[in-house]
Amino acid sequence: MIARRTLLKASALGGACALGGCHADPVPPGRTGVSLWFSYGGKNREVLEDLVRRFNRTQSRDYVQATYQGDYYEGLAKLRTAIAAGAAPALSHVVGEVVPYLAQAGVLEPLADYPGIADLGVMPALGQGGSFTAGASHPLVALPFNRSTPVAYLNGDLFRRAGLAAPRSWSELREVAHALTVPGQRFGFGCPINWWFWVALVGQAGGDVVTTDGQITLGGSAGVEALEFWQELAQARVLKPPPGRDYNAWEQTNQDFLAGRAAMIWSSTAFLKYLEEHARFPVLAAALPAGRRRAVPTGGTFWVVLRAAESAQKAAAARFLCFMHQTAQACDWATRTGYIPVTDAAQRALVDRGYYATEPNAAVAIEQLSVAQAWPWSVDLFRVQREIVQPRLESAVVERKSAGLVLAEARQLALEPA
Amino acid sequence: MKPSRRSDPWWLLSPTLLLLFVFFVFPLGVLFKDSFYAWDLITPARYVGLANYRALSRSGELWHTFLTTLSLSTLIVIGSMVAGLALALLLDRPGRWIAFLRGAVFSAYVVSWVSVALLFLWMLDADAGIFAHLLRAIGVDSPNFLGDPRCAPWAVAGISIWKITGYALVLFLAGLQDVPPSVLEAAELDGASSRQRFLTVTWPLLRPTTLFVATTSLIASFQLFDVVRVVTQGGPVRSTTVFVYAIYEQLFLDLRVGRASAEAVVFFLVLLALTALNFAVFREKEAV
Repeated sequence: MIARRTLLKASALGGACALGGCHADPVPPGRTGVSLWFSYGGKNREVLEDLVRRFNRTQSRDYVQATYQGDYYEGLAKLRTAIAAGAAPALSHVVGEVVPYLAQAGVLEPLADYPGIADLGVMPALGQGGSFTAGASHPLVALPFNRSTPVAYLNGDLFRRAGLAAPRSWSELREVAHALTVPGQRFGFGCPINWWFWVALVGQAGGDVVTTDGQITLGGSAGVEALEFWQELAQARVLKPPPGRDYNAWEQTNQDFLAGRAAMIWSSTAFLKYLEEHARFPVLAAALPAGRRRAVPTGGTFWVVLRAAESAQKAAAARFLCFMHQTAQACDWATRTGYIPVTDAAQRALVDRGYYATEPNAAVAIEQLSVAQAWPWSVDLFRVQREIVQPRLESAVVERKSAGLVLAEARQLALEPA
Repeated sequence: MKPSRRSDPWWLLSPTLLLLFVFFVFPLGVLFKDSFYAWDLITPARYVGLANYRALSRSGELWHTFLTTLSLSTLIVIGSMVAGLALALLLDRPGRWIAFLRGAVFSAYVVSWVSVALLFLWMLDADAGIFAHLLRAIGVDSPNFLGDPRCAPWAVAGISIWKITGYALVLFLAGLQDVPPSVLEAAELDGASSRQRFLTVTWPLLRPTTLFVATTSLIASFQLFDVVRVVTQGGPVRSTTVFVYAIYEQLFLDLRVGRASAEAVVFFLVLLALTALNFAVFREKEAV
């Protein structure tokens, strides 16, 4: 068992070094080193690394070493392997759906008792308490980091020329998608066939993926209606389901939008600044349309401190989290990436500064928080998402399988023991 | 030569045996054991008997993965061998340009799989890729090479064939140069046409090379991963989910060590059967 553990440890460290470029940033003498594994590239990575450098520069007690670990799912895979090998970092961030599972496994450090954590002033809808049903009844193990909602991005030129406005209902979305499609050249609408957007559609159709008492219903008839709406748009060839899975499909959707191959896409607030900076046309962000009602899930990740880390490192990690939640950093993170500012104070500061008046695109996600639906605190949520629902959504849209049948099958599998 | 002590061969073999045990036998044993457990790496493993095998079998995943792998492998092996042999016949002659062409074809084999996959990812883009542009230029609607489950396996097979054809080419060239010119001359003197010379002299003499190329290409194609990971991630709709990718997915994306192990055990047995079949075929040919 010891040999195996050592092997796992060596491979986890080796893999992390190889993929993270072997971060050769030594901890200065006298400081407490905190390893941070993070999961994004491009613009968001630049901003995070900049904030980490700021933390390391502005105090002399702790030193954060940030290492890139691939996309969310790759990062999570490495994190689990490292936990098993006893080589986990002190600090990382994980998608919301996996927090209950990791908490149940007992690998996350309860944070409430660390100095300053109780006074962070986290926006209720974005913290553990508001992001999960009854999230506040569980020990605090997750703090909001890059929190988002799905939003619609519109090609301003194409919409202006066509005299169209952002769709506010499913029927308007259908009309706009048809109106802006040019066969062989451009799709009116682009959207990754992804669980997150399906959950948004289920909510808009009036359903819940998991009921408040924890029953996995996959939205019942609303789930079917949501999937059929997608199928209808794809079969009419006004919706482009991009190739690739997970974030490959998201990236493809962004590229389609930037290249003018999709007039409107659904994506995350995470890409707001990226799209604005790279588009050769005005980018307009808009709220998702309503079906029977307005609804969006929240997305993005939460900070977690790993229980297995040394006490000094965990305390240092908590100090870093307090730093990241300070208004200056929370505002910087939000304004430079497009994510939602995670504290009330940061949001107020941005309002006072007139940021949302000059950057109306950034206000869309915040406005949508009023219709955000909480995720269930369910250890099965991640399994249901990854193994059961996601492959079937793709199958229904691409292979035109019956939405009712695939979701009935998914529901049955979700009820079976893991 | 007879060893002076019975233990001497074992001492000489021990470094290799040790490496084999550490990196093959021991992990294989762990793999078999883990296939009987439900484990997510971070909570205690739970003994579940044959439940992992049953779940894979009942969901149809095992059979689907096997068929996908087998059909892709068949396409890749046949495609690379036909292309390799055709190119070898074409390029089996002296000349500076011919040498350059041989080098150019082989160069694809030494480029990393990930680079090749990224290159084709762009080239096969249904909207902006060069293939789509060429098709549209001649008035043909471009299929969604990577987004359509009917096209994606062909695309993955095509990329792999392009990548490993250079390997088949080099081996077939070596095989062709082993064909005694005197036999070909004799056939020519007997009035055999070039087609007859190929079918009755060259091809039978290339049989050992063909078997070797087939075996090594088959094993390589069964281990296909990089292209799938970069280009399709097993999709669309699992149409390119081959064994190694399915194992990766179970282990690293779905958090199921037990099911990944069960799938790996089945994969190991399939490879073992293929190797045994190959040995049998080789022995039969040698006996002939």
